[in-house]
Amino acid sequence: MQKTMQTGLVVAVILAVLTIFEYVFAVNFDDDTIRFIGLSFAAVAKAALIVYFFMHVYRLWRVEEAH
Amino acid sequence: MAVIAPTEAYHPVRDHLKLNRAGLWLFFFSECVLFGLLLSARFYLEGIQREELDQLLGLGITIILLLSSVTAFTAETAIEHDNRKLANWGLIATIALGVLFAAGVGYEWSIAHFHRDEAFGTLFFTMTGIHASHVISGIGILVLVWVQFLRGRFTGKDHWPIAGAVMYWHFVDVVWVFFYPALYLVN
Repeated sequence: MQKTMQTGLVVAVILAVLTIFEYVFAVNFDDDTIRFIGLSFAAVAKAALIVYFFMHVYRLWRVEEAH
Repeated sequence: MAVIAPTEAYHPVRDHLKLNRAGLWLFFFSECVLFGLLLSARFYLEGIQREELDQLLGLGITIILLLSSVTAFTAETAIEHDNRKLANWGLIATIALGVLFAAGVGYEWSIAHFHRDEAFGTLFFTMTGIHASHVISGIGILVLVWVQFLRGRFTGKDHWPIAGAVMYWHFVDVVWVFFYPALYLVN
């Protein structure tokens, strides 16, 4: 359990950093196109982290014990 | 005629779980279509223009929702390992943070200076409204699961309702991950 929780905390820290990056990037960057691309990149990265580590999408095609 | 033997014996509990999981992911896919259409309507109607919104409030409710995903993950991991005390606190914290997020959206609605008749107003109230309705239904599902949990219903080997409710909660979080920059940060 400790290892799983550690992974979850690392993912949470990365999500927090990406969220702060989004905010600072959007507030301080003038070019609309680059800002849009940067925000899209951050959003896709955050969604991928949540879908993989928190929603366990890999369990869909993994053979495992019942719970 | 040769008969091909199944490689794996049918296991009712495990296979039922696989079906539940696949069904939930199909539901998420259909929800992605709904939220994807709202997102595309937002950029089709307004481009990357937007009205002024309270940036700190937007950042605050976003952090609250991300934090609730962490507590939901904690609850699921804890029940998987039969740690009932931590699972209980994880569920309570997730519900509380969800209520706080919904209250934040409600407050944002009360101070929004634009009107629902404007294009951005229509988009803003529709997107946040449909998302908030999912948050509120997620809170309802989590409360139902929590009551069952308090009655001693779940174990480390049998906790699909908690796992399903938590997955739904994470999905609501994923939607906000795209809605937040689209509404608050572009332009």
